[in-house]
Amino acid sequence: MTQNNTIAFTTGLVILGVVAAYLLAPEKKVDYSTEIKPILNKHCISCHGGVKKSGGFSLLFEEEALAVTESGHPSIIPGDATNSEMIKRLSDPDPELRMPYGKPALSKEEIDLLKDWINQGANWGKHWAYEQVQKHEQQSSILEAGLSSDEAPTSPNPIDFYVAEKLDEQGLSFSPQEDPNKLLRRAALDITGLPPSDSLVNLYQNQKISYNEAVDYLLEQPSYGENWASWWLDLARYADTKGYERDVSRTVWPYRDYVIQSLNKDKPFDVFTIEQLAGDLLPNPTQEQLTATAFHRNTMNNDEGGTQDEEFRVAAVLDRVNTTYEVWQSTTMACVQCHSHPYDPIRFEEYYESLAFFNNTRDEDTHDEEPRLRFYDVKGEAEVSKIVNWVAENESQAAARKREDFLTFYEPKYESHIATDFDKAELIDTKWLGLWNGGSAYFRNIDTQGSDQMLLNYRSGLNGTQITIRIGGPEGEILTKFTLNKTRGDEIHTFPIKEIQGRNDLFISAVSPNAKPQQNTSALVWFAFVPSLPGKDQAGFSEIKNSWESLLTYNGTKLPILIENPDYMKRETKVFERGNWMMLGQEVDPDIPSELNDWDPDWPRNRLGFAYWLTSKENPLTSRTLVNRVWSQLFGRGIVSSIEDMGTQSDPPSHPELLNYLAWTTMNDYEWSLKKLIKTIVTSETYKQNSSVSPALYSQDPQNKWYARGPRIRLSAEQIRDQALAVSGLLSSKMYGPGVKPPQPEGIWQTVYNGESWNESQGEDRYRRGIYTFLKRTSPYPSFISFDAGSREVCLSNRIVTNTPLQALVTLNDPVYLEAAARLGKWMIESDSNPQKGIANGYQKLMLTQISAKKLEALEDLYQVSKKEFEQNPKSMQEFMTANFEKINPELASMTVVANALLNLDEFLTKP
Amino acid sequence: MKHLDKLIQELSQQQLEKKTRRHFLMDCVSKMGGLALAPLMFGCGLDSKPKGLELSQRDLNPLAPLPPPFRGKAKSIIYLHMAGAPSQLELFDYKPELAKYHNQPCPESLLEGKTFAFIRGVPNLLGPQANFTQKGESGAWVSDFLPHFSQVIDDVAFLKAVHTDQFNHGPAQLFMQTGSPRLGRPSLGSWVTYGLGTENQNLPGFVVLTSGGKTPDAGKSVWGSGFLPSVYQGVQCRSKGDPVLYLQDPDGMSRDMKKNLISAINDVNKEEFNQYGDPEILARINQYEMAYRMQIEVPEVMDINDEPEYIHELYGTQPGKESFANNCLLARKLVEKGVRVVQLYDWGWDSHGTDHDGSVDMGLRNKCREIDRPMTALLLDLKQRGLLEDTLVVWGGEFGRTPMQENREGKQQSFLGRDHHGDAFTMWMAGGGIKKGASYGITDDFGFSGIDERVSVHDIHATILHLMGFDHEKFTYDFQGRPFRLTDVEGELIRKIIA
Repeated sequence: MTQNNTIAFTTGLVILGVVAAYLLAPEKKVDYSTEIKPILNKHCISCHGGVKKSGGFSLLFEEEALAVTESGHPSIIPGDATNSEMIKRLSDPDPELRMPYGKPALSKEEIDLLKDWINQGANWGKHWAYEQVQKHEQQSSILEAGLSSDEAPTSPNPIDFYVAEKLDEQGLSFSPQEDPNKLLRRAALDITGLPPSDSLVNLYQNQKISYNEAVDYLLEQPSYGENWASWWLDLARYADTKGYERDVSRTVWPYRDYVIQSLNKDKPFDVFTIEQLAGDLLPNPTQEQLTATAFHRNTMNNDEGGTQDEEFRVAAVLDRVNTTYEVWQSTTMACVQCHSHPYDPIRFEEYYESLAFFNNTRDEDTHDEEPRLRFYDVKGEAEVSKIVNWVAENESQAAARKREDFLTFYEPKYESHIATDFDKAELIDTKWLGLWNGGSAYFRNIDTQGSDQMLLNYRSGLNGTQITIRIGGPEGEILTKFTLNKTRGDEIHTFPIKEIQGRNDLFISAVSPNAKPQQNTSALVWFAFVPSLPGKDQAGFSEIKNSWESLLTYNGTKLPILIENPDYMKRETKVFERGNWMMLGQEVDPDIPSELNDWDPDWPRNRLGFAYWLTSKENPLTSRTLVNRVWSQLFGRGIVSSIEDMGTQSDPPSHPELLNYLAWTTMNDYEWSLKKLIKTIVTSETYKQNSSVSPALYSQDPQNKWYARGPRIRLSAEQIRDQALAVSGLLSSKMYGPGVKPPQPEGIWQTVYNGESWNESQGEDRYRRGIYTFLKRTSPYPSFISFDAGSREVCLSNRIVTNTPLQALVTLNDPVYLEAAARLGKWMIESDSNPQKGIANGYQKLMLTQISAKKLEALEDLYQVSKKEFEQNPKSMQEFMTANFEKINPELASMTVVANALLNLDEFLTKP
Repeated sequence: MKHLDKLIQELSQQQLEKKTRRHFLMDCVSKMGGLALAPLMFGCGLDSKPKGLELSQRDLNPLAPLPPPFRGKAKSIIYLHMAGAPSQLELFDYKPELAKYHNQPCPESLLEGKTFAFIRGVPNLLGPQANFTQKGESGAWVSDFLPHFSQVIDDVAFLKAVHTDQFNHGPAQLFMQTGSPRLGRPSLGSWVTYGLGTENQNLPGFVVLTSGGKTPDAGKSVWGSGFLPSVYQGVQCRSKGDPVLYLQDPDGMSRDMKKNLISAINDVNKEEFNQYGDPEILARINQYEMAYRMQIEVPEVMDINDEPEYIHELYGTQPGKESFANNCLLARKLVEKGVRVVQLYDWGWDSHGTDHDGSVDMGLRNKCREIDRPMTALLLDLKQRGLLEDTLVVWGGEFGRTPMQENREGKQQSFLGRDHHGDAFTMWMAGGGIKKGASYGITDDFGFSGIDERVSVHDIHATILHLMGFDHEKFTYDFQGRPFRLTDVEGELIRKIIA
């Protein structure tokens, strides 16, 4: 043996020794989150978790898992797997004892892992998504990686680094870049929901601007906000009707406009969040901040006769909790309504602690959907400030503030549906208090705040009804006495009252000589205690008083918003036993789930504090959720594919480090800018790849989970219609305002007890972007439903894309697509005297790329056979060309058929 | 790449044989006759799919038929929902004791802890407003409001103690149809269509027909697909206008031209597939062909003019009208053609007694006249065609009605009416694996509550799914990180009504 050999031999021994030591040593640390929790979730937790705790053993929380079970001793003894009951039972030879009961045994590997884990101390760990987002460590190596790009960027896009890493692991590689023009179309559709404008295409094709500059330009278009608003409004369950049985209209479009404007302004996502969840609690909230709170007034409101308003108020509050957690935390709270979360470490009580944040708003499922924000015109606003200044001067700043609040959203006030103890009285249609002649009822626990007058909103068809309100009961002292007369609809009247303090039961009774037996003398809607204006003896008082009275007849746009209860109206929050709102358990205070980030004592214990907690950089889920949702909008699949859930049962992230990187960067480097996040993604090589797929690649990665190709996804319902209108020149660029009603087939709206109808919009309102289409929950615009848009009754994180014959029928036969085809056909005819070139031009206009010979041949054949048929049958041609053209001829009609085909091509309906 | 090359080669060959290519659609349509099962694509357009492409039927067609997990007794469902909730006390649940106490104040013990939609205070009891006689071998009590129905009484199984915890229409209809009183869950029909697909690809798999002039209170959500893909939602077929929205070709466009149009679209799409290889394109090609065939077959099946006179006589149908009778006949035709689920909603059963139409003596009798003959005819017709054996027919409302007379907000009313009541009401099922002549469920002497053999809405769903070949506890869909079931965490099979 030579010396060299000896060295080699010795080295070999050493290596062997190291390997052996490694294999023998129990030191390979078992990771709870990635190795143990999946085993527990798969095999154990359905019987030993939040719902069932068989044998008194639960694996949901550390303290439960280590606690003494029904057997009298703990099932897991940290450091001692051999004596841990759990391990014994996993391999017990008696099938009655062996776990999981009645199911296949765990594999040896799984049991060994569990043994190692217990021997190592049974350390609990956090689910990855509950770990705080950390600054990524690999940035320097990313920069060194220096990925190549056709545009030769100065610094490589870190997204590509993380994607390349995984591609490598999978034995895959990037596809080449997509054709530049198709790429522009992809980016334009993703950013603005519309094809790029002719001028942008020109600049880009002539290389006057780069792809990155085109992206910047697209992000600055107002159409960006209109496009991305669809995504947010699905989450916000925005619709133009109240839902449930009667499903009548509601005015909530100012909220939709707020979303579009906020996106276009690139409002930082934390601000966007705080405004929507708690804009009303910000100091001196602006109209914009109040408008934002309509986010949570998109809950449904039940007008069906016989329904209890309190039941549906509670339903709305539950929905707000569930929606908030789904939208910002990718967490499904609905399960926790009834029992501790079956998989995630959120306790039953914690649900109600979260609910307590949302349980103190003024809205009570009333028919008028108060509180509502009033949008005064310039004159009205001037009058409001005059009154507010007057009160500030003659009384106090605090009184002025209250006066302004009242004029802005008419709160605080009491809704008449709180009446009880009816005697010859009723809650009309379970909504408004109706007193018959000699009838009475109670309002319990009313605080008049020492006011010297009350405002009463009511309607009546009778004159001369004497109303008496007494303190305490029928024998009590009189608070006020007044007469109600006929009104025109709902009117607000002011009546002086005795000034009293504290909470009192009020007894209200009516005497009306004009009422028939069992006839309601009036319908009382609400009452409020607003003191009379100060400065009665000052000059100008009567003018101020007139302004006040005229403002109370405001009849403009009113937007349902969130307004917090004043202290004297606060509700207690109690847990609902087994999720039943009628069975109340212990009282709880507002709090956040302990598994997540800590509460900062500087935050107020209300919705505003809750919003600060959500948008804190320590919150592990908000940024991950946002990044995952935006990614999914662009790639058709999230980095965590279960978009609505990042809990322990969610799909593990395909690229955990990428998710972490984007989450960190968005919060810190981008300061919550959505536009920056979107730009980073769409300028990555990952995004810019060609989207074609070979059978081999498809078989290996059918869902494009590893991004070895570009995203190729069917457009959304709104995008499909918008795009057809845009390429044919029909699309209106008008923004904002009430929902529009473009033509739809007759007889679609048939809702009971409703009386509203689909009055077709006229003029350019027929051709507005889909985001402005009136959305009736029980009967949405039919062609959008066919293309998988939702009915927006509840929060929708992810539209599932389907492919059905009903969709083909829409784009083939819906008159709006034929009108678009006729316009496009005309353009094609006019673009070239040679029909073949006209067809090629049309294709080029739509797809931004040259037509292939085979495609052209198919379309030209269609043109020729159609022309022949129209020549033989001029009557059909006349019928077919519904659009009002001066000159109809077989050429134009046949080109319209070709255009109809173009608008139906898969490549047109799909982003390339 | 070999397979793709082969495909392209085949395609270019077709390019040469232009004529053949142009006519593939027509050929296929004529070949297929009434019932085409497999997607047309591979049979006609392309002879084989590229090898190496692992596609299931469902990738190309989400409604492709699938076998149930175990052999179900029924292949299709016809569900007749009487929206508004008919009174069980006038129709099926005969309560002679209630007649004796007519107009007496309701015992307080019955009212304790109960909430009603409109009844306030202590209402009076209201005796049955119909006369009952025992019919058939089963000796079931039938109301004189339903004279025809007594002919088929031995074919049905009654559930007389159904209960629900919802007493407002919207939530109760949702509960009955989706297993949850809140919006967002898939309907029964969507679950079944998702699980089984449908047999006839030229018709929607889940068809909804409405009568009574209104859609149900809860709106289209009662046939919505919730979190399931929207392809599984019910398709409303209408008696007026296009039977299916946008089904009709534009004016002036002949069928030949539409055929050429679709053919051209699909030719271009095939080129696109050759370039991009995305199987979604194949699915789209398939869907366009299906749309074309649907345009032919839907109007055919929705047209009842060609039915023989005796059939019209049997059902009491009048072509061109939107009626429950026409819908019953359509339901039979649709099921015969291989539609998986047909759901009928008839509106106008909310007999509060606030007007003539809403009275339990007069208005209800008229409503019964509208359904008595057609629903009887439906069972007879299915039976004579041998379809009843594998068609499950379900009848019911969203809840029942009170044994007390409604005193809306404590007032006397000018007509006799009953308030909403969820404690006990009657439903029936027939056909597809249901025990003939069975009756399950016993209510107390006033028909207020079930005292034995009570069944919940979840039990009914569990039973329906069982008859379709599913274990309701295992038939799940993952959403929001957890598996969802139609029956939530409840539901017991009603074994005694299963044959």
